[in-house]
Order: sequence, then C-alpha cells, then structure tokens
Amino acid sequence: MQSSHDPKVAPRPRTLVHPGRFNPVRIQSMHSAAARHIRLALKPGLSLFDALVRPLSEEGVHSASTTILGGAFAELFYCVAPPDPSGLAVVAYGKPINAGRAYMIFGNATLGARIDGGPLVHCHAVIRTSGGAVKGGHILPDRCIVGPEPISVLVTTLDAFELRQALDPETNIPLLQPHEGPRHD
Amino acid sequence: MTKNCVVEMGSMGRVAYARIAPNEDLVVGVEKLCLAEGFSNAFVRGALGSLVDGCIGTWDGGVKHVKGPAVEVVSLAGEVRKRSDGSLKASLTGVIADPEGNVFGGPFVAGLNPVCVTFEVTLEEWLPDA
Repeated sequence: MQSSHDPKVAPRPRTLVHPGRFNPVRIQSMHSAAARHIRLALKPGLSLFDALVRPLSEEGVHSASTTILGGAFAELFYCVAPPDPSGLAVVAYGKPINAGRAYMIFGNATLGARIDGGPLVHCHAVIRTSGGAVKGGHILPDRCIVGPEPISVLVTTLDAFELRQALDPETNIPLLQPHEGPRHD
Repeated sequence: MTKNCVVEMGSMGRVAYARIAPNEDLVVGVEKLCLAEGFSNAFVRGALGSLVDGCIGTWDGGVKHVKGPAVEVVSLAGEVRKRSDGSLKASLTGVIADPEGNVFGGPFVAGLNPVCVTFEVTLEEWLPDA
C-alpha cells in the first residue's frame, strides 16, 4: 500500500502535466431549471448497464446522475487507474478485476452518450468482494450482473442539456461533458 | 445567508452538472461551480471522478494522504452553504480508492484534493424557505 499518514504535515498538492494543451475553461457546467427524480429498481439477472439504460431510455431519459443505493450482484468486475506506461495519458484503466459475487455498498453512475451516440454509463462504487474485502474503483457496467433482489437507484435527470462523451484534448481521454441541445424522442 | 436552525424547510431549485478539469481542487471546484451557476446552497446529487492524490481529514486535525495517481472517488455526499460572511463553503465527505483499490474515508480537505483526469458532479440547488 502506497499511503502514508503524518497528521502534522499536509502534503502539498501535485500539479500533473497532461499530454495535451491546457484548456483555460476549468469548470464546464450547464444547468436545467429543475430535475426530475425517478426511483428505479435494477432488474435481477440483467447487466448493470442494461438495468439502468433500458428503463430510463423508455422514459426518454438519456442524461442523468444516479445513486445506486446498495445491493448484491451475482457477478461484478471493476478496475483501477494506475499511471499509463505508454505516456499517452497520465493514467489508464487497468485490467478488469473479478470481484465475484459482490455487494455494492454505494455507487454513483452517470448516464450519457458515447461518441457514436449509443448510451454510456460511467460508474464508480465501493464494493465488498466475494472474499469479504472492501474495495473501490471504476465499475464495468456491462460485466456486472444484478443479483437475485432488485437494487434501488435514485435518478436525477438532466433534461435541458445532454451529456456526451468526447475526446478531451488536454488529457487525451474520452470524457463525458455537458452539451447544448437535449435529445427529444 | 441562511439561518442556523435545526430544521430548515425548503425546496429544490435548479440542477447543475459540471466536469471539473485536471489539477483543480475538488472542494473549491464545487464551490466555484456554485459561483458559475449562481447557487447559494446546494446538495450533491451525484459525483464521481479521480484525484491525483487524496487527502481526508482525521480526528486529530491532521490528514490522511492517499497516494495516486489515480485515486478514485467512489462515494461522495455533501452540500454547499452560503456562510454569514457571504462566502460559499462546500463540505464534502466520501470514500476514495487508491491505485490498488484499497479504500479510505472521511471529509475531503479543501485545497488538497487535485482532480486527476476529470470530476463529474451534479448539484441540486437548495432554496430554504424565507
């Protein structure tokens, strides 16, 4: 473990150098006049991706922030993001880690659109693995299968704009960003 | 400014989503998001992203430093409040995971949690009743 603990000294933050040109806009934000809230039950047996995307798409929701309120998964994969040895970016996702039959303690997932227009789910969560260890990381939503009980999710919709993934030139990584022009079904 | 009371009635107003860029501080960045959107008080409705290194407060007034990159934010709750002097203060607490997936939790220390690649945050404006 690479962590240190010195209560007397707060280490100075590090400024990392990314491969691309610095973007002077540091906070890219948009707002809606109000959010809609939806309580969603993730259906047992579906992937986390399908259980989130399908019912929300049917309701015309394509951009949203969600809180996964905890529950069991029959199978769960996650990854972490150590430094990128290729130097193309400062970090890169590592190999998928199989957590087995795992309990998601808390998760947040953002729903948006991929570069090609299809749905994208970006999810981070704290989990308890099949071995009992509590871990955290980037969840692979298409490789996680909802367990035998439905899992509750609180959805906050983003209706007046849309979240789309685009290559971020500064970090050289595709990222979700807010864009004008909501999608209408 | 809002009164310091136990029960504060109010309602939800606007909802804002932001992508906070690398090397910006998580806590101050959330405060600046409120400046950008004109929110005086807000609750975090969703947040995820990565930090260069993580820094959370401890009981003794010190800090727990978790070395990255990247340290993933895997749980976050919090609010932004307008203080009596008119300034904005974000209070954020959560769980972070180091590059091996090991988890640590506590309050994020303002100024010491620089964003690594991106930080996505959704705030819902809180409008206290007058």
